[in-house]
Amino acid sequence: MKRNSLRARVTTFYVGMLAVALLVFSAAVYFGVKAFLTRSLERMLSNNAHSIVSDYLVPLDQKGEPWLVTEMTESYPPGYSEAFVRVSKGPRILYQSGDMRDPFVSTSKVPLPWNQKWFNTFHRETATSGQRIVLYTVPYQAPDGSIIFVETGSTIEPIRHVLRSLLLILCLATPIILVAAAIGGYLLMSRPLRPVVVLTEQAEHVGRKELGERLPIIPTGDELERLSLALNRMIERLETALTHNHRFSADASHELRTPLTIIRGELESLIQMPSLPTVVMEGIGSALEESNRMAKIVNSLMTISRLDCGGEQIEHAPVDLVEVVAVTLDHMSLLAEEKHISLRFDAGAPIYVTGDSMRLKQIVVNLIDNAIKYTPDGGDVGVSVTAEQKKAILKVSDTGIGIPAVSLPLVFNRFYRADQARSRESGGTGLGLSIVKAICDVHEGEAFVESIDGRGTTFRIELPLLSLTATQVVQLRAATFVEISPNGAAKSPGTKKAVSTRTS
Amino acid sequence: MRILVIEDEQKVSALIKRGLISERYAVDVAADGIEGLDLVQAYPYDLMILDLMLPRLTGAEVLQRVRRKNTFLPVLVLTARDSIEDKVKLFELGADDYLTKPFAFAELLMRVKALLRRGPVNRSSTLRVGELELDRLTQQVRRAGRRIELTAKEYALLEYFMQNEERVLSRNMIIEHVWDQSFDGITNIVDVYVRHLRSKVDDGNLFKMIRTVRGTGYTIRSENET
Repeated sequence: MKRNSLRARVTTFYVGMLAVALLVFSAAVYFGVKAFLTRSLERMLSNNAHSIVSDYLVPLDQKGEPWLVTEMTESYPPGYSEAFVRVSKGPRILYQSGDMRDPFVSTSKVPLPWNQKWFNTFHRETATSGQRIVLYTVPYQAPDGSIIFVETGSTIEPIRHVLRSLLLILCLATPIILVAAAIGGYLLMSRPLRPVVVLTEQAEHVGRKELGERLPIIPTGDELERLSLALNRMIERLETALTHNHRFSADASHELRTPLTIIRGELESLIQMPSLPTVVMEGIGSALEESNRMAKIVNSLMTISRLDCGGEQIEHAPVDLVEVVAVTLDHMSLLAEEKHISLRFDAGAPIYVTGDSMRLKQIVVNLIDNAIKYTPDGGDVGVSVTAEQKKAILKVSDTGIGIPAVSLPLVFNRFYRADQARSRESGGTGLGLSIVKAICDVHEGEAFVESIDGRGTTFRIELPLLSLTATQVVQLRAATFVEISPNGAAKSPGTKKAVSTRTS
Repeated sequence: MRILVIEDEQKVSALIKRGLISERYAVDVAADGIEGLDLVQAYPYDLMILDLMLPRLTGAEVLQRVRRKNTFLPVLVLTARDSIEDKVKLFELGADDYLTKPFAFAELLMRVKALLRRGPVNRSSTLRVGELELDRLTQQVRRAGRRIELTAKEYALLEYFMQNEERVLSRNMIIEHVWDQSFDGITNIVDVYVRHLRSKVDDGNLFKMIRTVRGTGYTIRSENET
């Protein structure tokens, strides 16, 4: 179990509390029992002693000593197992019950009461056989003035024995109870905590794709229900904020289209006027170029917004990623050639994913365009498509300028530019990688980037792999062939899979 | 040729009207769906340019009602949305072509001309622009008899230019025809390919056939027509 889990902490806490309570309880029981047993023993001894005085010593004058011995022998026979009784007059012993049996306690050497402090109190002696005994002494003044001592005594061994057993029970029981409580409590805690676990798992899930989902409400009426309700309200607020955000960029890009059309149209008709001064021509041309770029940004923004809020329906068909990359590279080879960049792709067996081929192509186009743009003349751009467990992995690596580590987590953000001046000058919209990310998201894939500043960058796209049987692949290839071939313009004859650029 | 423009954005319709008139078309403008429907029922138009977002009656409804009576009128739809299912829906409703805002007027004009021409598209095996010759069967290109070697993409690009002699082709149009929409966002692919094509076609010749139209796109023209 994890040290920091709530379950472990709660269990530890209450087991600790239980241990303290058990200790206090055990001590109370132990000392209580000890006091009770001792007191009862003492009461018995003193009762016995006083009853001997009143029953046998008071009438001693009339009845005589032999009567006493007879009576005493009857009531407290020698070897009387529980107690020791002795009646003595000065150094002379009138009666003494013999050694105790079961357990054997030798009492013959117990000294006579010589100490006045012992009178009417309890004192302890050690028997010759080693046990502790407790004695009670009552002095009785006979009518003739002589003092007769009555002593009653008992071994405290039985009490010590009981107490030892009690201690043993307490010492054994406490840890067993504690362990049982810990295990039981830990298991029991899982019940009230299960909703929390479910809540956590669900919360991890929410927001991965979209915020449409809600957490399960825990109908317990307690703090957990309040927590789940509060979390749901929070998700709802987040969703609203996010929807507003998406709505805004969708609306904004939508609204910009008409004015852009007008600007463009006006400029186009102006530039066609005969005999314009060169300065005016230049100005209008530049304005037209910028309006084109703005149109491009608006379009990209629109695309992202649609992908983000699920407004764009995407196809779900088997797509051969290798084929997509091969065709795309063929279309873009000249871009690399122009910068003397070697563009490598080793086409292997088809690797299928489920998705929208146009959108997937856009990922490849954007990544390769990016790689070529940020790789200096004579560099390398390598593309690979591999299948790994349940993932299809597209990698685009370049030997370009790289991305500083601080910028890495931000490159997929909208309008983020790692190198402000450079990317703007090359005419990017700042949205290419956001589009890549958005397309990845709707395909349930993930986009990663790693880079060494100044050495190069690698983008890795992971998409869920579609495993097909050999026959399915054959059927699919037959189907795609028919589907693609009418589009003659897009697919030029003689498309080769492996693309390598000629160095001119 | 008489064209009806149904567009509520006055500036846009004025622009289209001005441009089409200078191309010698007769143009009527309607500012909303009902007015447009009245006009299209009253006059025999050769073409209708229809904006989708209209007051009173949406473009889609106008299109549906027009199609109920007049199945032959070519309709070019202007739309601000460009998701694939929207486009499919447009064609199901009976549109012949569409154009996404913001568009270049050159592109609008080209599509208008293509719709009005309908059918007699130049499909002959040899395309000719001035002294430049392109043989579709053998995929050979010659300028003044001298053979020019082109890659597949350059060939497709040149074929598209020569099919549209004298017309300005925007980068967007070129991308849509020679590549596809997924290349739209990227920076300079058209410029790079046109530059390469131009060096092969025009280098060593005094007259440069492939021209850049600043801010709009490219065009091909022959010497004898200038």
